[in-house]
Amino acid sequence: MTVNAKDMTSTTQTQSPVRSWTQKLVQSSDLGMAPVIAALIVIWIVFEFLNPHFLTPRNISNLSAQIVVTGTLALAETFVILLGMIDLSIGWSSVVAAAVFSVTTVFLNWPVWPCVGLGIGASVIVGLLQGLLVSRVGVPSFVVSLGGAMIAEGVSLAMLTPHGGSIPLSDNLSTMIGTLNIAPSWSWILSLGLFAVFAGVMVSQHMGRMKRGAGEGHSVFFVKLAALFVLLVAAVGTLCAYRGVPWLLLIFLGALFACAFVTKSTRFGRHLYAVGGNAEASRRSGINVRFIQLAAFTIAGALVGLGGLLDAARLGVASATVGDSDIMLNAVAAAVIGGTSLFGGRGSVYGALFGALVIASVTNGMDLIGAPSSIRFGVEGAILLVAITIDTLLRQRRLRSGRV
Amino acid sequence: MSTADLLSVRNLHKKYGAVTALRNVSFTVRKGEVTALLGDNGAGKSTTIKAISGAAPADSGNIILEGQEVSLRRPADANALGIQTVYQDLALCDNLGICANLFLGRERVLWPFGILRDVDMEAEALRVLKTLRVNLPSLDTHVSSLSGGQRQAVAIARAVLWGTKLVIMDEPTAALGVAQTAEVLRLVRDLAAQGFGVILITHNMHNVFEVADSVVVLRLGETVLEARKSELTPEIVVGCITGSRTTVGGTA
Repeated sequence: MTVNAKDMTSTTQTQSPVRSWTQKLVQSSDLGMAPVIAALIVIWIVFEFLNPHFLTPRNISNLSAQIVVTGTLALAETFVILLGMIDLSIGWSSVVAAAVFSVTTVFLNWPVWPCVGLGIGASVIVGLLQGLLVSRVGVPSFVVSLGGAMIAEGVSLAMLTPHGGSIPLSDNLSTMIGTLNIAPSWSWILSLGLFAVFAGVMVSQHMGRMKRGAGEGHSVFFVKLAALFVLLVAAVGTLCAYRGVPWLLLIFLGALFACAFVTKSTRFGRHLYAVGGNAEASRRSGINVRFIQLAAFTIAGALVGLGGLLDAARLGVASATVGDSDIMLNAVAAAVIGGTSLFGGRGSVYGALFGALVIASVTNGMDLIGAPSSIRFGVEGAILLVAITIDTLLRQRRLRSGRV
Repeated sequence: MSTADLLSVRNLHKKYGAVTALRNVSFTVRKGEVTALLGDNGAGKSTTIKAISGAAPADSGNIILEGQEVSLRRPADANALGIQTVYQDLALCDNLGICANLFLGRERVLWPFGILRDVDMEAEALRVLKTLRVNLPSLDTHVSSLSGGQRQAVAIARAVLWGTKLVIMDEPTAALGVAQTAEVLRLVRDLAAQGFGVILITHNMHNVFEVADSVVVLRLGETVLEARKSELTPEIVVGCITGSRTTVGGTA
């Protein structure tokens, strides 16, 4: 009887590793990012075919800034959805952050950075209070966050209505972040430097695994790494052909990688997935399930606050109309389209990036070809339904094979 | 009491309201042996197990572990003393990999952020799986894609990894096919051979006579039979379970 994974791989080595990888993907009940990336490629080809301006550096640059708010809020939602819960308050909670920031900077004339902290802090409190109700009392998150959304709406209106419903921002920080790009030379230095660090960590981990006979083969690993590098060069190259990487995008990507680190590489992240997958088993293993739930809502609150400030910076104004728009539904849709399962425990924060790209691409492309909103909503709705259908079918496949 | 005695249960009593679940349960589990715990539905097997695992303490009676009387008020008490229960539902997170499940709740981390030391954990897991002669795919494989027997093996390996002296297994073969049942039974034997004490709860008489060293039968909350397997036949055991035989050790 064979013992370790090294023996197992040696029995399957008659197949090429790339082929066994694709086979595993097709038979898997957890497709990861594959469907959303495929959808993204199709969407880009279709819009480029309909309007050749779609894939120009200028439009890609616009697109990269358009994904930021949806993406940041989807990141927040991902933490909650991974637990199998939902947070419907993220739209209005983000407006609370923007309102607090604008009132303190514009009317109280406080320095900018403390106001950033206050704005994000306001959303953190919203998340924390909701998390307390969900984790300590056990109220369903759907209802808690519905109530939370209404209260956040009330708070936002109380702050913004006396000033006509919106407060224009004039501080240098939000102007820079909302409108400026990082110079091309610095864009290259930053992105290549970060990739070098990332690749170094990945390679050292991979080598450690290989030495012990675990993990995927060399060829698959290096093909993936090389593909990522090509993608990075293409993206940065395109953005630099226009004006460089937008500050908005840099901040979003910073938040994304921080979340990826927390969810994939730390004990907290491991426990987050565990609680989402099987809360009872997690409790019996000594994991503090209530703390994980509370922390997830609180982290989501912080990201929502960041998203609200980025939105205000992008628009140049803190506005109550943002809360009434489809900002919350877009974020939930982006997370789900990105492959995060509403049933909990499955998905990845990178799904927020790709889901936001899908939604922003459709919006952007529809605007470019001059299609009315009616069609845009129809298409976005259809994509969401396809995504959730795939998720449900995969879950049924798991259930059929006796694996909940 | 001989030195090989790992766990002795003496005169356990437990009432749920007006219902007496345990009247007088006593038995001994030895190191390096498999003790089968049998009984009809409602005989008190689960209540006994809950008392030993700390999930639902008994009202009175003594539990003696390695010669010392112990107090088991919570599951954490039992875990700290090296008593692990492999529940029927296995308590695995299907969305996580094998290694993540093995170390769930006891991850090895680096401070300050609690960074997972995955490579170290994988090495440790491989070592334990090797001693158990368990055949599993790559350790980052999700538990959801494992067979029933492999999942059982992961749950058992987790108990071993956590420094256990006594493993309690609740119906480990109930949902398994023939080949997987044989694999799990071999694992049970191997555990005992390595010096662990094993309590095996099962309904399957064939399993009992294949792996058990001693047999304990409960009936209506009382120990009605505690004997070496060599002294028994399936007929005697069934007779004790159903109550048609009330004397122990009589002619079969």
